[in-house]
Amino acid sequence: MKSKSKRIAGYILLAVLVLVGGVAIYIYKEYNRKVKDTASLKTDFSLTAKILVDEFEKNDSLAGRKYLDKVIEVGGQVKDISKEDNGFLTVSLGDSTYSTSIRCSVDSTHSKELQLVKQNQLVLLKGICTGFNRDELLGSDVFLVRCVLINNN
Amino acid sequence: MSLKKYFLLMILFFVAGIGYGQRYFTKSGKIAFDATTPSSPEKIKGKSHTAVCVLDTKTGALQFSVLMKGFEFDRALMQEHFNENYVESDKFPKSEFRGTVTANDKINYTQDGKYKVEVKGTMTLHGESKEVVTNGELKVDNGKIKLEANFDVLLADYKVSIPGLVADKVSKIAKIEVDCALELFKN
Repeated sequence: MKSKSKRIAGYILLAVLVLVGGVAIYIYKEYNRKVKDTASLKTDFSLTAKILVDEFEKNDSLAGRKYLDKVIEVGGQVKDISKEDNGFLTVSLGDSTYSTSIRCSVDSTHSKELQLVKQNQLVLLKGICTGFNRDELLGSDVFLVRCVLINNN
Repeated sequence: MSLKKYFLLMILFFVAGIGYGQRYFTKSGKIAFDATTPSSPEKIKGKSHTAVCVLDTKTGALQFSVLMKGFEFDRALMQEHFNENYVESDKFPKSEFRGTVTANDKINYTQDGKYKVEVKGTMTLHGESKEVVTNGELKVDNGKIKLEANFDVLLADYKVSIPGLVADKVSKIAKIEVDCALELFKN
């Protein structure tokens, strides 16, 4: 009788230990979780630069609700590429007759793939939408961050 | 409006635009945010590379605009907390500053040089606006203008609350670091 209840107590202890261990591992993993590489993320929306620009131009709060924080694959013509002293690349996509563009800051671990991209070339990029900045003077922009190159032809 | 009048008006705007002064801008300004305290288990630091900044060298008018979701952190969890619990970026997607460089007339923008400057204006963060004054450095270098500033933001001023559980792990005062390289805006 005594040994049976001891055995049960042992099982309970084991179960508690496994549970505590599981929670500890979960907390540890969650705490150390890194921001995922965009290349490995599932695409939520795939569209052209023009469509994305038009949606934000028409109604930025509506488009914001739809696209913010989402993984977007966007295809378009390279309007401009800027490289900073520290190698940080920003690719601007869109029609040259349009003042609004999609500004894609390139994930620094993937900037190599974009080194050869030239102005006016058609590219397909994937990034995360962080918002829209309306600017009558400089031209408005839809911002994508942590962008990676999907295709360049 | 007749076509002729329309053209006259266009020319007028154009001329007025030239007389108004030169604008310098960037759309890839860097703004970093640091809320690390001595008791933080690690650095609480986020950085945006997508701040938009415009400076009118004639009037000294200075504007910043930064999307809160553009701040990137090393740890995903920190980035999520920053957006969801602290700055509530779904509700308040943008932070802005509108102000002027005081003593703008002392700066010679046509010649290379370094200046200590004071900037005064209104900062909006988390839907709250506040008057701020800060010091920084303005560098005219080969036709470009570099702006650098470090200042503190008391989070309570902008109604950014820190949950009691992590109150001693997250600084109540965030250090903001601004680093922008502006180029001449060509119409």
